[in-house]
Amino acid sequence: MAVVERPRSSSDLSSVINDERYRSIFYQILVFGTVFAIAAFLVNNTLTNMAAQGKAAGFDFLLGTAGFAIAWTPLDYKPVDSYLFVYWVGIVNTLIISGISIVLTTILGFVIGIFRLSKNWLIGQIAAWYVEVLRNTPLLLQIIFWYLGAFANLPRPKQSVELFGADWLILNNRGLYFPNAEFGELFWLTAVGMLISVVAAIWYNKRAIKQQLETGVYVPIWWKILVILIGLPLAIFLVTGMPLSWELPVLKGFNFQGGTFILPAMCSVLVALVIYHSAYVAEMVRAGIMSVSHGQTEAAYSLGLRPSWTMRLVIIPQAMRAIIPPMISLWMNVVKNSSLAIAIGFPDLVNVFMQTSLNQSGHAIEIVAMVMLFYMTVSLTISACLNVYNKKILLTER
Amino acid sequence: MADAPMTSGGLLVFKPKPSLPPPPATTGVIGWMRFNLFDGIYSSVTTVIGVLLIGYIAIGFYEWAFVRAVWEASSRNECRISPTEFGTCWAGVEFWFTRFIYGRYPDAEIWRIDLAALIFVLWMAPLWLPRVTAKVIVGLSAVMVFPFLAGYLFLGGERNWFMAIMVALSLTWFIGTMVHVAICLVTNQGLGRWIIQATGFASRDDRLQKYPIIILSLIAYFVVYFLVADWQTVEVVPNQWGGLFLTLVISGVGIASALPIGIVLALGRRSQMPVVRVLCVAFIELFRSVPLITILFMATTMFPLFLPKGVVFNNLASVIVAVCLFSAAYMAETVRGGLQAISRGQYEAAEAMGLSYWQSMGLIVMPQALKLMIPNIVGSFIGLLKDTTLVSIIGLYDLLGMINAVSQDPQWIGLHHEPLFTAAVLYFVACLAMSKYSQHLERKLGAGDRR
Repeated sequence: MAVVERPRSSSDLSSVINDERYRSIFYQILVFGTVFAIAAFLVNNTLTNMAAQGKAAGFDFLLGTAGFAIAWTPLDYKPVDSYLFVYWVGIVNTLIISGISIVLTTILGFVIGIFRLSKNWLIGQIAAWYVEVLRNTPLLLQIIFWYLGAFANLPRPKQSVELFGADWLILNNRGLYFPNAEFGELFWLTAVGMLISVVAAIWYNKRAIKQQLETGVYVPIWWKILVILIGLPLAIFLVTGMPLSWELPVLKGFNFQGGTFILPAMCSVLVALVIYHSAYVAEMVRAGIMSVSHGQTEAAYSLGLRPSWTMRLVIIPQAMRAIIPPMISLWMNVVKNSSLAIAIGFPDLVNVFMQTSLNQSGHAIEIVAMVMLFYMTVSLTISACLNVYNKKILLTER
Repeated sequence: MADAPMTSGGLLVFKPKPSLPPPPATTGVIGWMRFNLFDGIYSSVTTVIGVLLIGYIAIGFYEWAFVRAVWEASSRNECRISPTEFGTCWAGVEFWFTRFIYGRYPDAEIWRIDLAALIFVLWMAPLWLPRVTAKVIVGLSAVMVFPFLAGYLFLGGERNWFMAIMVALSLTWFIGTMVHVAICLVTNQGLGRWIIQATGFASRDDRLQKYPIIILSLIAYFVVYFLVADWQTVEVVPNQWGGLFLTLVISGVGIASALPIGIVLALGRRSQMPVVRVLCVAFIELFRSVPLITILFMATTMFPLFLPKGVVFNNLASVIVAVCLFSAAYMAETVRGGLQAISRGQYEAAEAMGLSYWQSMGLIVMPQALKLMIPNIVGSFIGLLKDTTLVSIIGLYDLLGMINAVSQDPQWIGLHHEPLFTAAVLYFVACLAMSKYSQHLERKLGAGDRR
């Protein structure tokens, strides 16, 4: 079929106005122009205002001395260090607190989610109320509650609490003290041993699965894997003469010396973040498991699978498909919500950089941009991982 | 002989024995408990642990909230139950409760907040009355028109020409809505139709029928305008706003502006025009990937730099703008989810009918998508209500900010737990009620789609 092209003359104005392509270009120019005009207006105002205040934009201030102390950091930070180092300290602290929270909240959330689905009515109800109460109160209120209600009322170092009766796990109003590992010279051999044993265990497991697929014989291998995982590193550790010692916290004068400690504020942020988000994880787990149709369970039972195997081999793998995507965006939320630690003075990125450094140096635009850049990098990385994962587990349909 | 088969006319008739009652252990309370609480050894053990846990928490709470309670005191020192121990000082909560709700708003002016709340409730209530017509207009005007009246009630002081026009409009609209509702309830038809009939225009040409409505509204507007022209209230600067009132103002404005901006952003993100799409995606992703607290800090530190010389923005205005942008980005994703759930056939059908882009969106796609989005919209409102607590970090006295302020008052120094508990209960009740209502709404609206 021949396509008849209507001759288009430039004088035919109505055909240009009504042509969708020209309209689209016109609208885009309009939108872009508006946005550009607003941006130019704001930039112009900013430059005028900054000139009026005698401030210069630029990142030179980053190399200047910060001059303030940071209450807690695993890094070797001193007040004479630069603002750039403060930025790094903030990032490390934020990543530490959100990393620990993500691991713990996922575990706790799974447990609560399983409880929520329990056949036992009472347990189901307790888990349901746990979820409702935690999801319907603000996180900031919970953080302050844990801080003021529990961790700010701890005794002084002299009257420290020994957790679980262990004299190396000590809680007082300066923080939670625990031993510090000191690695000997040959410890790297044990680390290598661990790596090798993990690789070996994965390979062994794959081989066993392949064998089962080929022959149909199921050989329980979990204890062999356990032997590989623990035995090899332990053997190397013993042979190299146990190059690991523990530096214990000891009460000297008014405070404990030695070991590692975390601040009471950090404890309360951790507890609050873990418990608050575990309620969301629990709901995701419940929704994920419920999304697997009951026919799957019935089919597995009719094949003669035990209930525990049905759960492990049939339900959970399918539920994971529904659980993982929201779970990853929840992890993203944990990273973002860890910034609330500022309310009780834990030195995370927002606290040390966006508050203290900003107030001292006055470089609002540069600092806000740097902080946002960090959070955006984390967010984009996580969503890139999510996309890769989603592609991998996408149901292969006919 | 009981066992002999019954005969009737030589035929054997089967007559079953009366069935036995069910075993007592499977019905009633005992059966339920057996099945739900003590089904096997694990279940029994967990039940016992659960009961112990509940008992422990309940006893602890009872002791804290009632046994150690002090109900009457005028300072925290009077809340001691022994020289070294403080009781649970409910007297402090009682003393401060008005402040928790209204912040530092002057006592003599609190009626203005109550009045605005009452007007809002009256404005929204018709949405739940089945006989009222034009619910969309009533609901939209409560969100779009009411804020001007409320804003003036809260702020007071002199009105500039814009506010004078809008306050009068808002009041007229409110009166009109109330009259409309009353007429709906009495005559089962809306205000417009009633006016047409009452003025005798019902038999006239269709095109003429709108004139009595327009003329009457204009008359009503000017009457109201001149009646309230001299009405003025004392100015209350935003620095004095606080408590639950401020929380609701921030989150209310946030959600009301988030929906329209969010819809525009979501349509932009799905648009065919690359420039529009890229700008929308950049905005949405930027605001969704950073924590709210950084946006609030940006608002308080950078907005003053953005403004031309001489324009002063107070902290509250910056915060409200920041919250609007933040919630709009999240709302855009909610709306996008709703739009994606509408099947392609609907878009194509709308196009085939010859509807323009805005017609097909407004008449075909959006109504269906908004229905699907209701649970998520309520969810984001709950989220925003909770997130509003962050403004206490940058020095506004919202509900949480007021509660922190109590513990720094010389008379009540160190009074933390009781106010925090009160705030937690307030938030919990508000959020739970909203989420339960949205579940109910979802069931009600989804009734037609369910098989």
